[in-house]
Amino acid sequence: MSGLEYDPAPFAGALDDREDHAPGDEPLESAGHYIYNSNLGLGFSIILTVAAFVMASTQLIYAPAIPVALLVLAIAQMGVHLVYFLHITTGPDNTNNVLALAFGILVVGLIVVGSIWIMSSMNHYMMPMDELMRQQV
Amino acid sequence: MFGKLSWSAIPWHEPIPLMTGLVLILAIAGTLGLITYKKWWPYLWHEWITSVDHKRIGIMYVLLGVLGLVRGFADAIMMRSQQAMAVGGGEGYLTPEHYNQVFSAHGTIMIFFAAMPLVIGFMNFVTPLQLGVRDVAFPTMNSVSFWLTASGFLLINVSLFVGEFARTGWLPYPPLSGSEYSPGVGVDYYLWAVQISGIGTLMTGINFVTTVLKMRCPGMSLLRMPIFCWTVLASSLIIVAVFPILTATLAMLSLDRVFGWHYFTADLGGNPMMFMNLIWAWGHPEVYILVLPAFGIFSEVFSTFSGKPLFGYRSMVAATMFICIVSLMTWLHHFFTMGSGPAVNAAFGISTSIIAVGTGVKIYNWIFTMYGGRVRFGVPMLWSLGFVFTFVIGGMTGVLLAVPPADFIVHNSMFLVAHFHNVIIGGVVFALFAGLHYWFPKAFGFRLHEGWGVAAFWFHFLGFWLTFTPLYILGLQGMTRRLQHVNISEWSGMLSVSALGVAVTTIGVVCQIVMLLVSILQREKLKDLTGDPWDGRSLEWATPSPAPFFNFAVTPNVEGEEAYWGIKTRAIESQQLSAEPKYAPIEMPVHSPVGFYTAAFATVTGFALIWQIWWLAGLGLLGAWAGFVVFAWRDVHEFHVPVEEVARVDRARREAREALLERIAAEGASA
Amino acid sequence: MSDDALLPAAVETVRRVREDPHRLGHRDPHAGGPVAGTGQGMTGPATKRIIVGYGFWLFLLSDIVMFSCFFAAFAVQHDATAGGPAMRELVDVPRVGWQTAALLLSSYTCGLSFAATNLRNKLWTQIFLLITGLLGLAFVIMELIEFVELAHRGITPQVSGMLTAFFGLVGLHGLHVTVAGMWLLTMMAQVQLKGFRPEIVHRLICFNLFWHALDIVWIGIFTIVYLMGAIS
Repeated sequence: MSGLEYDPAPFAGALDDREDHAPGDEPLESAGHYIYNSNLGLGFSIILTVAAFVMASTQLIYAPAIPVALLVLAIAQMGVHLVYFLHITTGPDNTNNVLALAFGILVVGLIVVGSIWIMSSMNHYMMPMDELMRQQV
Repeated sequence: MFGKLSWSAIPWHEPIPLMTGLVLILAIAGTLGLITYKKWWPYLWHEWITSVDHKRIGIMYVLLGVLGLVRGFADAIMMRSQQAMAVGGGEGYLTPEHYNQVFSAHGTIMIFFAAMPLVIGFMNFVTPLQLGVRDVAFPTMNSVSFWLTASGFLLINVSLFVGEFARTGWLPYPPLSGSEYSPGVGVDYYLWAVQISGIGTLMTGINFVTTVLKMRCPGMSLLRMPIFCWTVLASSLIIVAVFPILTATLAMLSLDRVFGWHYFTADLGGNPMMFMNLIWAWGHPEVYILVLPAFGIFSEVFSTFSGKPLFGYRSMVAATMFICIVSLMTWLHHFFTMGSGPAVNAAFGISTSIIAVGTGVKIYNWIFTMYGGRVRFGVPMLWSLGFVFTFVIGGMTGVLLAVPPADFIVHNSMFLVAHFHNVIIGGVVFALFAGLHYWFPKAFGFRLHEGWGVAAFWFHFLGFWLTFTPLYILGLQGMTRRLQHVNISEWSGMLSVSALGVAVTTIGVVCQIVMLLVSILQREKLKDLTGDPWDGRSLEWATPSPAPFFNFAVTPNVEGEEAYWGIKTRAIESQQLSAEPKYAPIEMPVHSPVGFYTAAFATVTGFALIWQIWWLAGLGLLGAWAGFVVFAWRDVHEFHVPVEEVARVDRARREAREALLERIAAEGASA
Repeated sequence: MSDDALLPAAVETVRRVREDPHRLGHRDPHAGGPVAGTGQGMTGPATKRIIVGYGFWLFLLSDIVMFSCFFAAFAVQHDATAGGPAMRELVDVPRVGWQTAALLLSSYTCGLSFAATNLRNKLWTQIFLLITGLLGLAFVIMELIEFVELAHRGITPQVSGMLTAFFGLVGLHGLHVTVAGMWLLTMMAQVQLKGFRPEIVHRLICFNLFWHALDIVWIGIFTIVYLMGAIS
C-alpha cells in the first residue's frame, strides 16, 4: 500500500480546487456570484469612503474622536476589500491564506506600533536632535 | 557623462587594495581564460549558469558563500594583526581610513555574502530532496535569486579597485553614512550591493515558504516533515517578514544621500535614530534567519549519528516556531543605550531573555537524542558537539547582554564582538561545516576525507576559542570595538593571543582546503556507492549519489515520520526491495538564462547608481525589464524526461541498493 | 462512502470540509463527488495555480511590510516640519477624493475583468483591463499634478523630515501603481496574443491581487496621511 516504490496516481499533484485555493481566486465560483461579490464590495467601499471624507470635512463627530473614527473606517474598508475583492474567508479552503495574512498583520503591527512606541519614548527621554547638533562645536 | 567616475577612482596610491584588486582581476581573468581554452563554456552555460535545478543552484550558492568566507576571513586576519601590532604607540600597517573599510567589509561580506549564501545554499540543496519533490515552487525565480546575490558580491569586490568601500561598519548608521559625512561612493557600494542581493533573498524566502507549505510528497503532513524543513520554513517566514524592512530602510538612506531628503539627517526634521530602529528590526531577525537552518542541520546530524530518531520532535517544532515569532520582537536590545527609557528597555530585555528558552529546549532535545543511542563520532558529529559547547557559552553571554544595565557597560565593547562571533561561528559556521561534510556525498558522489576533516575541526575549534576568549576579557576590561590602534599597552598580550588564534584558525582553513583536494584525488576510494553513506533517516538518502536531476523516479508516498528509515528497515527485515514501480515520464522545468541576464543588468544598474551615471542606470533598468518581458513571452516551460531514461536511472539505483542489502545481510550473518 | 477508503487524510478534516453548512468557503454549491484532500498538504504537491497564487500572496504581504516601514517613518516624522509647511497646508481634499474614486473604481473593474477571464471571454477581459488601466493612469496623473503644484510652491522633500516622509510614502505608492500599469499593458498584450493559457491566467490572478492590494494601501494613505493631515 505504501512505501517508496509507489507512485500514487490519484494523489500526485491532485489537490482539489475546492479544498485549497489562492486568494482572489475562486475557480469553481460562477461568474454571477463573483460579480455579485464585486458589486457588494464596491458598494460598501463607496459608503465607507464617503463617510470618511464627510467625517473629515464636517463637524458631525466630536472633534477629538475623528482620527479614531477615520482609522476604524479605514480598517473596515480594508476588511471589505479583503473579503469581497480578495475573497479571504474563514472557510477551510482559505486557511493558509488567512494564516499568511495574520502573520503579515503581526509584522506590520510590530513595525508600526513598535516604532512609534520606541521613537516617542526616545523623544521623551532624549535631547532634540537640533539641540544635540548645536552642542557639537 | 560618467557621473562621479574618473580615473582617480582607482586606488593608485594605496598598495593593499591595488594589489588585491590586481590579484583578483588576474584570478578572474585566469579562470575565464582557462574555461575558454578548455571549451567548457557550453557545458557551464547549459548545466550550471542557466540551471534551475535546486541542487545545482544550491551548490553555486555554497561556492559563492565559500568565496565570501575567504574574503571575509582575509579581512579578519588583517584586523587582528593590525590590532596586535598597533598597541601602545605602534601604528600597524593600516591607516584609519583603510581599517574602517576593512571592518565594514568584513561584517558586510560575512553576513550577506558568506553566511547567507551558505545557509540558503543548504536550504536549496536539501529541502526538495527531504520533501520528496522534484524542485522548489519557483525554479526560475530560484535562479534569479542566486544570480542577484552573486551580482551583489561582484559589486562589493569591484569596490576594491574602483572607488572605495563604506567606512561606517556593516550597518551604516547615519548621520555618519549620510551625504555630508560620507560623501564618497563607499556607502553607495554597500547600499546597492546589499539592496540587489536583498531582493534575491526575499525571492528565496517566498520560494521556500511556498515550497514547504504547498509542495510536499503525498502523505507528508507538516508533522511528518524532517526538522530541517521546519527550520527552513521558519527561516523563510522571517525572510519574507523582514527583508522588506531592509529594502525600505536602505532605500530611505539612498534617498537622503542622493536627493538630499531628510529621513535620517541630523537637521531639518530628520531622525537618525529611526534608522537604528528600522535596521535592527531587520538585523535581529536576520541572525535567526541564519541560525534556524543551522539548528536544523544539527537536528539531522544528531539523529543520524546517534542512530536514533530526534528526541521530542513536536517540542522541536514548537521551539522553532516560537523562536521564529519571538525573534521579531527583540530588536531593541541592539540599542538599549540609545535612550528609549526603562519601560521600553525592560520590555525588550524580557523578550530577549525569553527567546533563549526556545534554544534551550533544542539543546536539551539534542542531548537527549544522543542519550541511549549508538553515537558515531564522524566529522559532522564533532562539529555538532563543538557547537553545543560553543553555542551554549555564547548564548549565555547573550542572555547577559539582554539585561539592559549590564548591556550599558559592555555595549559596543569587545565583549559584544566576542559574543556575536561566539554564536555565529559556534552556531552558523560550525553547522555549515557539519552540513558540508554530511551532504557532500549526496552532491558529488564521494565522501570527504575523514582524517583531514577531524584535523580541520580541531584547529577551527581551538582557533576560535584562542581568538575570542581574549576578546571577551578585553571587553570586560573596557576595550571598545573597531579600534585602528589601541592606546593601552597592557592589552597587547591578549591581542597577541587573539592574533595567534587567527593563525590557528587559518591552519584549520588550510586543513579544509587539503581535505577537499585529497578527497577529489581519492574520489574513487571515497566513492558513495549506495547513496546512503551515513545510514540516514530522511528521504534524501533514498536517492543515489549524486542525485539524478529529477530527484525521485517515482514520487514517494510517506506514511510516518522518518520516511526513509521505515522503508529501509522494512527492506532489511524482508531482505528485499519492494517491487519495481511503474515508471512514467517526468515533467521538469526548462533551464533559463533570465537569472543571469537580470543579474547582469542589475550589476550594471547598481554600478551606474553608485557613480551617478544616470543614463547607464536607466539603460540597465530597461534591459532588466526587457529581459523579463522576453522571458515571460516564452512558450515552452517544461520538458519531458522519457520513461526509458527514468527507468534506467532508477534501475541503477535499485541495483546499488540491492548490493547494499546483500552486504548488510552478509554482515548480519557473519556477526 | 467507498471513496473514503482512497483518502489518506484524516476523516474528520474531510468531513469538516465537505459539510460546510454556512458556506464559509466559497465553493460551487452544486458540486458533489469525492474530495481528494483537505488543503493540509497530505495529498502531494498543490497545482501550479495554487502555488503561483500563494507565492504571490506572500510577496504582497512582504510589499505591505515595506509600505509599513514608510508609514512608520511618516508616523514618527509627521510633526518634524522644521519650520516648513504642515500637512494641513498640503492637502487638497477634492483631489484626494477624485484619486480615491478612480482607484476604487479601477479595483472594481479589475475584479470584473477577472470574472470575464474565468468565463474565458477575451473581449470583456480586455475592455475591463483597459478601463482599469485608464483609471489607474488618471490616478497617477492627478498625483503627478499634485507633486508639481507642490514643487511650484516650494514644497519639496528636501524641505523637512515630514515632507520627506510624505513624498516617500505617497511617491512609493504612485511608483507601484505605475509599475502595475506597465504590467497591465504587458498582460493585455499577452492575453491578446496568447489567449487564456494557464500561465497567462495565473499571471492575471497575480495582477488582480497586486491591484487590489494597492487600493488597500491607498486606503491607509488617504486616511492617515491626507484626511488626518487635513484635520490636524
